[in-house]
Amino acid sequence: MEHWNKAFCVEVAGEYACFTRPEMKVERVSYDVITPSASRGVLTAIFWKPAIRWHVRKIEVLNPIRWISVRRNELGAVMNPLSKEGLFIEEERQQRAALLLRDVAYRIHAELEFVPPPKRPRPLHPVPGELVARDEELEWPDDENPGKYYAIFERRVRRGQCFNQPYLGCREFSASFRWVDDATKERAPIEETRDLGFMLYDLDFEDEKDPKSAFFRAHMLRGVIDVPAWESEEVHK
Amino acid sequence: MILQALYDYYQRKAADPESGIPLQGFERKPIQFVIVISKDGRFVTIEDTREGEAKKRRAKSFLVPAGETRTVGVKANLLWDNVEYALGANPRRRKDIDARKASFQARLAEDLVPEANQHGLDALLSFLGRDPIAEIESSESTSTVWKEVLETNANVLFRIDGEEGTLCDTLRPFIRSSDAGGTPSVCLISGARRPISRLHPPLKGVRGAQTAGARLVSFNLRAFSSYGKDQNFNAPVSEEATFAYTTALNVLLSRDSKNKLLVGDTTAVFWSDKKTEFEDEFAAFFSMPSKDGPDADVRAVRALYRSLQSGTLAAESDRSFFVLGLAPNAARVSVRFWHHAKVAEVAGRMRQHFDDLEIVQSPRDHGSLALAVLLVDVATEQKLDNVPPMLIGDVVRAVLAGRPYPHTLLQQCVRRNRAEQTVTRKRAALIKACLNRFQRTHSTEEREITVSLDPTNTNPGYRLGRLFALLEKIQEEAGGINATIRERFYGAASASPVTVFPQLIKLKNHHLAKLKKAGRKVNLERMLTDVFGGLDEFPAHLAMEDQGRFAVGYYHQRQALFTKGDSGLKPEASTEKEGET
Repeated sequence: MEHWNKAFCVEVAGEYACFTRPEMKVERVSYDVITPSASRGVLTAIFWKPAIRWHVRKIEVLNPIRWISVRRNELGAVMNPLSKEGLFIEEERQQRAALLLRDVAYRIHAELEFVPPPKRPRPLHPVPGELVARDEELEWPDDENPGKYYAIFERRVRRGQCFNQPYLGCREFSASFRWVDDATKERAPIEETRDLGFMLYDLDFEDEKDPKSAFFRAHMLRGVIDVPAWESEEVHK
Repeated sequence: MILQALYDYYQRKAADPESGIPLQGFERKPIQFVIVISKDGRFVTIEDTREGEAKKRRAKSFLVPAGETRTVGVKANLLWDNVEYALGANPRRRKDIDARKASFQARLAEDLVPEANQHGLDALLSFLGRDPIAEIESSESTSTVWKEVLETNANVLFRIDGEEGTLCDTLRPFIRSSDAGGTPSVCLISGARRPISRLHPPLKGVRGAQTAGARLVSFNLRAFSSYGKDQNFNAPVSEEATFAYTTALNVLLSRDSKNKLLVGDTTAVFWSDKKTEFEDEFAAFFSMPSKDGPDADVRAVRALYRSLQSGTLAAESDRSFFVLGLAPNAARVSVRFWHHAKVAEVAGRMRQHFDDLEIVQSPRDHGSLALAVLLVDVATEQKLDNVPPMLIGDVVRAVLAGRPYPHTLLQQCVRRNRAEQTVTRKRAALIKACLNRFQRTHSTEEREITVSLDPTNTNPGYRLGRLFALLEKIQEEAGGINATIRERFYGAASASPVTVFPQLIKLKNHHLAKLKKAGRKVNLERMLTDVFGGLDEFPAHLAMEDQGRFAVGYYHQRQALFTKGDSGLKPEASTEKEGET
């Protein structure tokens, strides 16, 4: 059955954000705007299942871009998972500076793609045979339709439900989110046009052992960034 | 964005033949000693390349093949190195000296094509193959120089006697180009699929970082790596792009660079996408003026105003301007601020900054406005190192973005006023700028603070400051006192006026009684009445902003009292404290 992916719009806001540039990961410097990868992260925190896939299409920047610089004491070592004593942070401190964004707000336009059951990845640990209700199992193929997932997402956003608190780049910068019905009735994005250079699009996990970064050339036109499709040529993998 | 802008700057400089920027695989290095050998490989002499007099003697810079990054382990450079590698000298009694010497000669053999032999390579190899140390030490004329070379383990270059350039210059066409190594991946600067560099060259020239150089992009601990990647594979940048941006940044950070400014622990570099005049003046707005040009900042500000007024800036106003502030953190460099905008916008912001700082000053004051000079007054013991961390970066970012100054700046000024029991011109200017910028952004109901005395300002802090200045003047003119009320009561008067002012008002009557000239007494009393008129009561406490206004009111009134003709008062005999600077 032919269907198009339904587009959703969510407004995301937070006091601080750090969309870390890959090259400035140690002394963190943020990108000017949210990356498609972080947008996907926010949506995934609200709702994700192996049955769906998120595609970010458009990002609108609603607040002027402002910066703040902080210096934090962080941990400088990786703990051995087999270690019995653990780590004593006093011996492993590292001071790291960070250049963060302040008072951010974005409208994320994304499409929810429904993945039909045969195409979904096989679960690593399937439910054992004896626990599956055979008569219910027969009904599942009929129940699988995209509308179900669209409705779940809309309900969750409206109620403010999420699996884990969405965050803007780093976990310590929590985000609040809001359902947007009609983007044209909301406040306009900022009136800035800028070339943002190459931005991280997302990571390519085809080869799980060696994830590769993908970049795209981001242009902000009057506060709107059009995100190319993952498969398109504009995304350099 | 940052690396991209540096990459573009490198392309601009590389395209300009006069810029002298090194091309890929080479770097400019100051090398102090050149060993001269004859065409058949015999030692002739050692030359010292230092130029200049006495303390400013600096070695000449040569274009040499890029140096290898050495931490531990033996890796020789090509055609130049320190004497341990080049000659096998062993001043520090190392055990692997033979390995070092061998690796230097191996590099000569591997990385130069065979045609190089006729152009001097065989002379060099034969010199090194025989015992070079013995030859040098047997020569009497070079013994002092040789001792210095040994002691400092100096870098040396070679030259054939009779030829103009060093062996690096003559053999440059014969260097074998290295094969592209590393797996290709997408470069985040250029977007192309190229081999990725594992380590990026360090930056030299960031003040406070380690002398071997610090890196901007570095993942030197496992805790910083992600997705199982190692070192700089965490941030894929192609070899060409790495070379481009690090060279550009090193050129901007080099010692004689005009594109560099230092404020406290922050080293900032700035550039525009095409050559502009604004670039030349920019450093003077921030850096401490040097000893041979103490008025550089005043002149630069005047030039800025002139160019804004006359419209000469319009020609370059559309160019992009970039400012990058770097701060050291041991082996790494962090970004304090990054700003990029059109020249017109940056010029406008600088002008706004200087407009806000404008304040009446005594004729003897130079009127320095450079940020480093202003911030020195905000630091304990007038040492820029004692400024609270992050303040400098925050202030520069506020200036460039046109936003209010950090609240810390206001607090520091007020605190220094209390500690030093005086208000200097620089602190008064900073307080005025802080308050006015805040008021402009947040549209509070307070009036903007003027450049000089404003008799109509009824803010209690401002009026009390004026009152304090008048009371001090009365006491000074009464004479015979060493420590004025300022030295004893400034802090308390500023923070909790009600505890101090009633006593001071009582005392002023005694001081007034001592004045000899009746006309003067009347004048002063009239001024006091003016100031009192705007005050309802003495507040128990003054908020931080009002303490700032107290300081500015005090300063304004003092300046007015010491100006001939102004405020209806002639400056009297006790002018020892004339003119605050």
